[in-house]
Amino acid sequence: MAKRLMDNAKLGIFVVSGLLFLVLLLYMIGKNRNLFGSTYELKVKFENVQGLMTGNNVRVSGIEAGTVKKINILNDTTIEVTLLIEKRMQTIIRRNAIVSIGTEGLVGNKVVNIVPSREPANLAVEGDFLSSQKNVDTYEMIQTLSKTNNDVAEIATGLKTTIQKINSSSGLWALLNDSTIPKNLRISVANIKVATGKAAGMANSLNELVSDVKSGKGSLGEILKDTGIAYNLNEAILKINKVGSEADSLAREVSELIDGVKQDINSGKGTVNLILRDSVAAAKLSVSLDNIQKGTDGFNQNMEALKHSFLLSGYFRKQEKKKQKAEKADSLPK
Amino acid sequence: MPIPKTSKAFLSEAGDMARFTAKFFKQGFKPRYEVAEFMHQCFVIGYKSLPLVALTAFILGLVLTMQLRPSMVDYGVESQLPAIVGIAIVREIGPVITALIFAGKIGSSIGAELGSMRVTEQIDAMEVSGTNPFKYLVVTRVLAATLMLPVLVMLGDAISLYGSYLGVNIRATTSFNLYWTQVFDNLEFYDVVPSFLKSFFFGFAVAVVGCYKGYNSSKGTEGVGRSANSAVVVSSVMIFVIDLLAVQITDIFGFN
Amino acid sequence: MTQEKQLLQAGNLLQQGHMLVISHLYKSFGNNHVLIDFNLELKKGESVVVLGKSGSGKSVLIKCIIGLLKPDQGRIEVFGENIPDINEDELDQIRAKVGFLFQSNALYDSMTVRENLEFPLRRHWIQVAQDEVNKMVQEALDDVGLAHTVDMMPAELSGGMRKRIALARTLILKPEIILYDEPTTGLDPITGKEIIELMVEIQHKYNTTSLIISHDMNCVKMASNKVVILLEGKCFAMGTYDQLKQNNDPKVKQFFE
Ligand SMILES: Nc1ncnc2c1ncn2[C@@H]1O[C@H](COP(=O)(O)OP(=O)(O)O)[C@@H](O)[C@H]1O
Ligand SMILES: [Mg+2]
Repeated sequence: MAKRLMDNAKLGIFVVSGLLFLVLLLYMIGKNRNLFGSTYELKVKFENVQGLMTGNNVRVSGIEAGTVKKINILNDTTIEVTLLIEKRMQTIIRRNAIVSIGTEGLVGNKVVNIVPSREPANLAVEGDFLSSQKNVDTYEMIQTLSKTNNDVAEIATGLKTTIQKINSSSGLWALLNDSTIPKNLRISVANIKVATGKAAGMANSLNELVSDVKSGKGSLGEILKDTGIAYNLNEAILKINKVGSEADSLAREVSELIDGVKQDINSGKGTVNLILRDSVAAAKLSVSLDNIQKGTDGFNQNMEALKHSFLLSGYFRKQEKKKQKAEKADSLPK
Repeated sequence: MPIPKTSKAFLSEAGDMARFTAKFFKQGFKPRYEVAEFMHQCFVIGYKSLPLVALTAFILGLVLTMQLRPSMVDYGVESQLPAIVGIAIVREIGPVITALIFAGKIGSSIGAELGSMRVTEQIDAMEVSGTNPFKYLVVTRVLAATLMLPVLVMLGDAISLYGSYLGVNIRATTSFNLYWTQVFDNLEFYDVVPSFLKSFFFGFAVAVVGCYKGYNSSKGTEGVGRSANSAVVVSSVMIFVIDLLAVQITDIFGFN
Repeated sequence: MTQEKQLLQAGNLLQQGHMLVISHLYKSFGNNHVLIDFNLELKKGESVVVLGKSGSGKSVLIKCIIGLLKPDQGRIEVFGENIPDINEDELDQIRAKVGFLFQSNALYDSMTVRENLEFPLRRHWIQVAQDEVNKMVQEALDDVGLAHTVDMMPAELSGGMRKRIALARTLILKPEIILYDEPTTGLDPITGKEIIELMVEIQHKYNTTSLIISHDMNCVKMASNKVVILLEGKCFAMGTYDQLKQNNDPKVKQFFE
């Protein structure tokens, strides 16, 4: 009899502890989903919610603060999202806070980010609408990256033709061989060559990167780790475009110079020396050289900056390592 | 159309088992209720299985974590290890492995026990002693197993998660707090509730199969062995079939 | 025979002190016709041995009597009630008055001797005071001479002891009829003899009516008032031990060789 009682007591402990864990599990989940805490509602309108679902987390300056309660389609361009925010955030979120949709990790759940604005404003209360910010999502990012790649490739070809022009222009070579030409012009041309090489390499790298990203290889995770990627990417793209325009003006400058020299020679103005003695030509050439010098410098600078940009740094480092390895392998005696 | 002998035997067995199950429902909810015996069976089936379940669950949590880590590191999502392991344990591995261990321990012991009771006429003796053996032996065991397995699954989950916590800490250090937060953060009601509900069915299946096999054991000690063995085999297969059905059903309801 | 006549006859037989009347009993499993028109009467205080080869359907017969098997046809009247007709509660009431000693003892392996003995008590009478129960257990164990085994498990006992405990469990309800299914099978001759002596002793002490199934001639000689030979599903021959021993039918003779 006593044994039966003991057994039943043990059984009771066993069952109760099992149920306790179940309750704990459900309670913790419920707590995470804000089923039990006191909350209030805020609303946001989006054009595109990018697969946001009810129950997704809401973060205020990166702190878990609530969940998405409802997603309502108002019309073909407006989606109203109702957010359930913990009461403790009531003293933090102001009416001018910016709401955006991000991703937890690259392929993770969507998350609603509420970022406070620096300007003063009243605190948001139950039912207030906050303003939303459009986002770059992964797909768009890849699209842009693709386009950027084409741009860089174009720049590279442009530069290449410029160099070819310089190379094939006998007049210019004569000019350069002349000892009276300032040394820096020669350096400038060399610089252009280097820049071209770099741009071409860059184009290749980007090309690889884009195809890797598109085919979903590991670099996806390596490069695009952050929700902040959008900003970095924009920065990178701006730089690339700047490089492009610089390269353009550079090319224009060089070809103008060459054209000028050619023209001069063709119009029978005589030898290079003759040209240089011509004060007009000399002045023009001097300006051109100056511009080219500046252009190549700027181009190189931007190229470097791009390389060091947070977004692509890891990628380029890897690329370099690969190159070094290949070089080492080459340099080994057979 | 002639039915092959083996499929005929299979079908007739399936029919018998269905009839046996129907008998459970018919008899199980009518007085008289064998409360004391039911409690005793709960103790034997539930409490006594805990050490085995705890051990396997602990090892499983630990091993699963250690096995998953390399891939997680490869993908650069090592920090998601608790979340992944938590979901795997709560959704699938906890209930199914616990149920399989349960089938091995309880299914076979029910099959052997009832089988030997049948063979040595103990079931007849019960009936002669004014006891409905079906109620006394089958209904109590089936109810006890149905109710105890979910409890075991819950405790198994908890122990598994603890094992996994230790597994996470072999290579890295994560505070217990952070670990739990990460686990719970990624769990949803629809991870826990279906897996909890399906464990009732696992328990029911294991006990019904064990009781059926034992209750209808053929004469001789060899028959007892066969009952125990086929109880384990059939109930293990049933567990997977139920698991498949459960995932289909939760899918239909959109809980996946 | 019409049913009315049957009933009339049953009533008459009961008045003559009949505890058990089996008439025109048929039982078959598929094509295996085990009992074919079997008849038997058992009077109060009588001790009848049913003799038959192994597999001749003796256990089937006795299980039909206690309601564990349902006969295909025929009447089995115990205390005037036809077993196949009555409902579960009535059957339980009759079973409380009919003891059954199983061939394989059927002691509950998972219970101690005490729990084994208490089991039918608690089952048949919903409320019995604990000291009353203890007293009855003690008495039943004393009857079979095994009072010291009360807290042992059946697995710890020898074959003869187990048979005695099984007998004690049957006795605990003070049954009016005891059905013995091969009580000496599987025991050595000496132990078997002890069991038979015990059976006879109990028969005298409680004035029970016994139906003993056996193919052990020792048992037949010592315990029987009347012997029935079950052959080919029928009551092939009937009489006292001495009468049957004189019988010249070769089929009867083979039992006495
Ligand atoms: N439950 C059952 N199902 C099918 N056949 C049975 C069953 N019980 C007994 N039999 C058959 O009935 C016959 C008589 O068995 P039984 O009465 O146990 O023999 P015994 O006279 O040795 O006690 C045997 O041929 C046996 O195969
Ligand atoms: Mg028999």
